[in-house]
Amino acid sequence: MNGEDQFERRLQRLPQRPVPHAWRDEILSATRAGEVPRPARVAPRPSLLSNIRYQLSTLLWPHPKAWGGLAALWLLVLGLNFATRESPQPQMARHAERPSPQIRELLKEQEQLFAELVGPIEKSEADRPKPAPPKPRSQRHEEFLNA
Amino acid sequence: MSADFELERLYDDHARALFAFLLNFTRDPDDTHDVLQEVFVRLARQPDLLHAAKDQRAFLIRLAHNAAIDLMRRRGTRSKYHEQFGLDQVSPFAVAADPDEAAFRSELSAALGQLPPEQRAVVHLKLWEGLTFEQIAETLEIPANTAASRYRYGLDKLRALLRPLYEEIK
Repeated sequence: MNGEDQFERRLQRLPQRPVPHAWRDEILSATRAGEVPRPARVAPRPSLLSNIRYQLSTLLWPHPKAWGGLAALWLLVLGLNFATRESPQPQMARHAERPSPQIRELLKEQEQLFAELVGPIEKSEADRPKPAPPKPRSQRHEEFLNA
Repeated sequence: MSADFELERLYDDHARALFAFLLNFTRDPDDTHDVLQEVFVRLARQPDLLHAAKDQRAFLIRLAHNAAIDLMRRRGTRSKYHEQFGLDQVSPFAVAADPDEAAFRSELSAALGQLPPEQRAVVHLKLWEGLTFEQIAETLEIPANTAASRYRYGLDKLRALLRPLYEEIK
């Protein structure tokens, strides 16, 4: 303990370095001029990454562990969401193969047989050709005169 | 008393202590100059700043400490430039004529450089400004217990780093 006190006292006795003489005039004349010192070296422009890091650390600093925990929780929820997501439905049409010629032949025969049994199938309303649109009035008038 | 004369008096009374503290804290002579100038320019602009201060020295160290932290933050990093200065340039101690003593001071300066800046600030104020932990706490705006523990850790580290040389020249 005594040795430790000696060490402390030894350090306390060390004299402090004097201020460089030239600084007195520089600093006092700067105070008269009201100059705020500019850094002697040009400060490097902070990169975007360091800026983001600084902003984040400023924002999160009061409770870094709490924010870290919240971030971990969000990651866990996100991971679970991905893990439990259902796989997309297979697209049947895209992967369906074209029927073979034999099957097409068979289908055609069945269609013919069905036609013989039932008779000709009337086309539905949707398949009928639409009536021609009414002609313009002037054209109708011309046709009327020519008739 | 004119404002200029008052500033000169303040400089003569406190600049040496502020200089040693700032040099030890920033480990950068250029930053030390800038912060010291900033403190005195501020005093020139706001002459009433010191009126309410109980202890002018402690108040000025507080101003200097805050200005140094602001400067370091503006630079974006605390230790980016430290390596470019030699130990003799960042040592807060006077040069010794005796080689053993000079070696000890140089080793001490190097050991101080290994402490975190806030630990170094507490060690400096306790050892070389003779402030109590309560005064250090008020100056650095930290709890007194924090000041005491920082001092203990800092001193233990210095002791461990300097023990061989200290035993030799004791």
